[in-house]
Amino acid sequence: MKDLNQNRKAIIQIFFVIGAFVLLARTAQLQLFDSSYKRHETVTGVQEITLYPARGLIYDRNGKLIVYNDALYDIKVTYNQVKDIDTTMLCELLNIDLNTFKKNLHKDFKKDPRFSEWIPYVFLKKLSAESYARFQEHLYKFPGFFAELRIVRGYSEKVGAHILGYVSEVSGKEIEASDGYYSEGDYAGKTGLERKYESSLRGEKGKKYVMKDNMGRIEGSYKNGSKDIAPISGKNLYTTLDIDLQAYAEKLLQNKIGAVVALDPSTGGVLAMASSPTYAPDLLAINRNRSEAFTKLASDSLKPLLNRALNAQYPPGSIFKTVMSLVGLQEGVFAAHRGISCRGAYFYNGRRFGCRNHPEGIHNLAKALQYSCNTFYFQGFRDILEKSGYENADKGLDTLVAHLYRFGLGKPMGIDLAGEESGNVPTSAYYDKVYGKGVWRSPFIISLGIGQGEYLITPVQMANMAAIIANRGHYYIPHIAQHFEGNEDAGLSKYQVRKETNIDPAHFEAVMDGMELAALGGRIEGHVFCGKTGTVQNPFGEDHSAFIAFAPRENPKIAIAVYIENSGYGSRFARPIASLLTEKYLKGDIDRENPQRVWMEKTMLEADLIPK
Amino acid sequence: MSTIGTKIYARLQGDRTIWLVTMLLAMFSLLAIYSASGSLAYKYKGGDTEFYLMKHIALLIAGFGLMYICFLVDYKRYSKIAPIALVITIPMLIYTLVFGTSINDASRWITIPVVGISFQTSDLAKLALIMYLARAISAKQDYIKDFKSAFLPIIVPVLVVCTLIAPADLSSSMLLFLTSLLLMFIGRVDIKYIGLLVLLGIVAFSFLIILGNFFPEIVRLDTWITRTKDFIVSSDGSYQVQRAKMAIAEGGWLGVGPGNSIHRNFLPSAFADFIYAIIIEEYGLIGGLVVIVLYLTLLFRCVSLVTRSPKAFGAMLALGLCLSLVIQALVNMAVAVHLVPVTGLTLPLMSMGGTSLLFTCVSLGMILSVSKYIEQMSSAEEVKA
Repeated sequence: MKDLNQNRKAIIQIFFVIGAFVLLARTAQLQLFDSSYKRHETVTGVQEITLYPARGLIYDRNGKLIVYNDALYDIKVTYNQVKDIDTTMLCELLNIDLNTFKKNLHKDFKKDPRFSEWIPYVFLKKLSAESYARFQEHLYKFPGFFAELRIVRGYSEKVGAHILGYVSEVSGKEIEASDGYYSEGDYAGKTGLERKYESSLRGEKGKKYVMKDNMGRIEGSYKNGSKDIAPISGKNLYTTLDIDLQAYAEKLLQNKIGAVVALDPSTGGVLAMASSPTYAPDLLAINRNRSEAFTKLASDSLKPLLNRALNAQYPPGSIFKTVMSLVGLQEGVFAAHRGISCRGAYFYNGRRFGCRNHPEGIHNLAKALQYSCNTFYFQGFRDILEKSGYENADKGLDTLVAHLYRFGLGKPMGIDLAGEESGNVPTSAYYDKVYGKGVWRSPFIISLGIGQGEYLITPVQMANMAAIIANRGHYYIPHIAQHFEGNEDAGLSKYQVRKETNIDPAHFEAVMDGMELAALGGRIEGHVFCGKTGTVQNPFGEDHSAFIAFAPRENPKIAIAVYIENSGYGSRFARPIASLLTEKYLKGDIDRENPQRVWMEKTMLEADLIPK
Repeated sequence: MSTIGTKIYARLQGDRTIWLVTMLLAMFSLLAIYSASGSLAYKYKGGDTEFYLMKHIALLIAGFGLMYICFLVDYKRYSKIAPIALVITIPMLIYTLVFGTSINDASRWITIPVVGISFQTSDLAKLALIMYLARAISAKQDYIKDFKSAFLPIIVPVLVVCTLIAPADLSSSMLLFLTSLLLMFIGRVDIKYIGLLVLLGIVAFSFLIILGNFFPEIVRLDTWITRTKDFIVSSDGSYQVQRAKMAIAEGGWLGVGPGNSIHRNFLPSAFADFIYAIIIEEYGLIGGLVVIVLYLTLLFRCVSLVTRSPKAFGAMLALGLCLSLVIQALVNMAVAVHLVPVTGLTLPLMSMGGTSLLFTCVSLGMILSVSKYIEQMSSAEEVKA
């Protein structure tokens, strides 16, 4: 028994001696054999350095570069390495005053845990490439100072700010939502294409590991760079935009409030999308004055940050008569040759609904479109609604609504920019709520017949209306991204799906006849220009001027919508602007030989419609 | 000085080697703490590097005072208070589990009202359980192989106490469990029963893990999982471990010298859980060897106490307390060299840390008290002979 007891004690002692031996052996192993910790005896830390990929470039439909990457520099400093420097010279080179210098250099190292004398911190942010070039020549005179490259966006033409969007530092929320991709100080697309295609444009970040000594100096790469990951550049984006047309559109819209959208009807690609007032895109690129610029834009009463082409919804007015015509024809309530008499107004139940000043008489559909005859469409609208009987206006309205939905109205079209408005197409359910079920009749809502009332349409929807007519019944969802370099998918396939409206192609001829007549005032030499004006009653001031158009009539190349707020008749501003842009796109420029066209351009450029 | 020293040494009762080891460890801790608390001093005390040194010295003095008191007490009294202490401890453990203060996310601490000192109940429970086990094992030596009368009364408190500590402080609980097993092993408990106890321990632990899914705020399942995962998955370990390994690699054979550690500035808890890494950095492999040898010496001395009085309560008590200290020391060092996952256990007598240092001193005082008695007994036997 005693022996066993002795044994047990011996076992325990051996157990502990072995334990101690293992500990010592492990310690020795860490010192002698594990090269990753031992080789650099002065190394106090492994630092992970993020390598930023180049962001994808953006091109227009003709391969012109629109957005590229520009270099900015952050000047950093390591405090304990700064010795005997020429302060005045440094200030001059960097264009800062002595106070800024002192403020930026002398940090409270004792109390502020963010700063340390031997760890580099930012001395001056966002220095331009030119300023840096000057500074770089003298950099050797300033020990402790060095520069870190920051890539920012540059723009070849100062246009398209609303479409292109901007890039800025990610917020805490975005970092959280990014599943670990973003970290503090990273940049990401905030609006426009930059945001929509962020994941394709940004590329993949890389990593480099370096070992640092206790003074913060780099000792070399960690594990011979075996853990380093090279960054992958972002994918280049080829858009459907015509940057020259975009620039011209923005120029014509200057000093006006409104929007222009031009589409390629054969693809749905956006040729130009301008919203006025606008701003130069580089104003919000990452540079030294950016926050100031943003505050100014955000507080502007004319809302230059708002993209009116997508985020404003307007009553369409008479441009809506084109769609109403097509629905009427499809539903068989009026034939192309049906004439309706107009005596300058439409009378119902003793009320008078006025009509535009046009020759009185009996007009067929084409003439009604040309003259924008309200009487014709009041009657047409009632015929559509009362197709199943006067009592059943709700049925008729829902038939109309179903058609309008197929025209892409009443809901967001699905363009590849964020924040698109849906517009408004009232249904029978809506009027049941307003007037009561079975109570309301077509005359209650007759102003819908001429595009007034509750209808609201965004300019991009208007342009799409024009594209549908140009295509004789179908369209593709308007979009700006055509394709990405490489096999990047980015969800663009939905823009290749042909959408049908269910309107018989034969019905379009009569509407086109009318639009050809209505657009005569904007005639373009050598092309058949079809359009429809709209003069939208505006209870708050001067009427809005609207125009949708396409050209040429056969094999259309461009469909366009122009909407100018508070500018009166549609023929006064919207039609000339649409006409000039169409000519520009079809011919490369307007006909400078034609004094009428030159005068038209001059008038448009000089007009100032901003309320003072 | 030297004459006073020799006088004290001559008059000193109890095992002189244990006294010496204790003193050396305390001195070593002063050097290491002074060096390692630098970053803490700059962080909280505006660079007053002596502050933490003074605090540690004050605690050591208090600790040695307690040690001396425990040394003076006749160790047989510990046998008498053992069951009472155990009975008091269990409700305290439950109270801690439910109402305890969270320091570092674990509710391990309770505060004594009026005095305002907070301490880890597990430290107290450790003392109480080891005292009780020593008493039970020595009292039942004659029928120690019997299951019902000897084994059951021994294991039930072990399982209860360890289970109550585990939710908030798994490493302390496992340590105490291992100590109990070893103590039973030495106390001649049948190997079969010890195997059974291990099995029961595993069952209790599984039960805790299941409970942890329902009461995550009581059982720190997450921490256990992350720490184990850190250890298994990443070969480099967490930031702390990585830094500790760098510090060790820095040390070499003889170290960079006292006060010259660089990594103390980067290594969190350099003055507590990871002080061994700093010791290696400053005093090298040799310094590490010295510390390990000191702890092993302590163990060997205690084992020899058992040899001299194999069935006595005193020897069991001394060995139990000593095993607990030494295992904790080895585990702490194993963490620093990344042999086991991070545990949060301190290096006894070396690490800076308030009340657990005092409990360590109490343990050592009890060990010394036992050694004093055994010495007297053997000399009495000599006289008799």
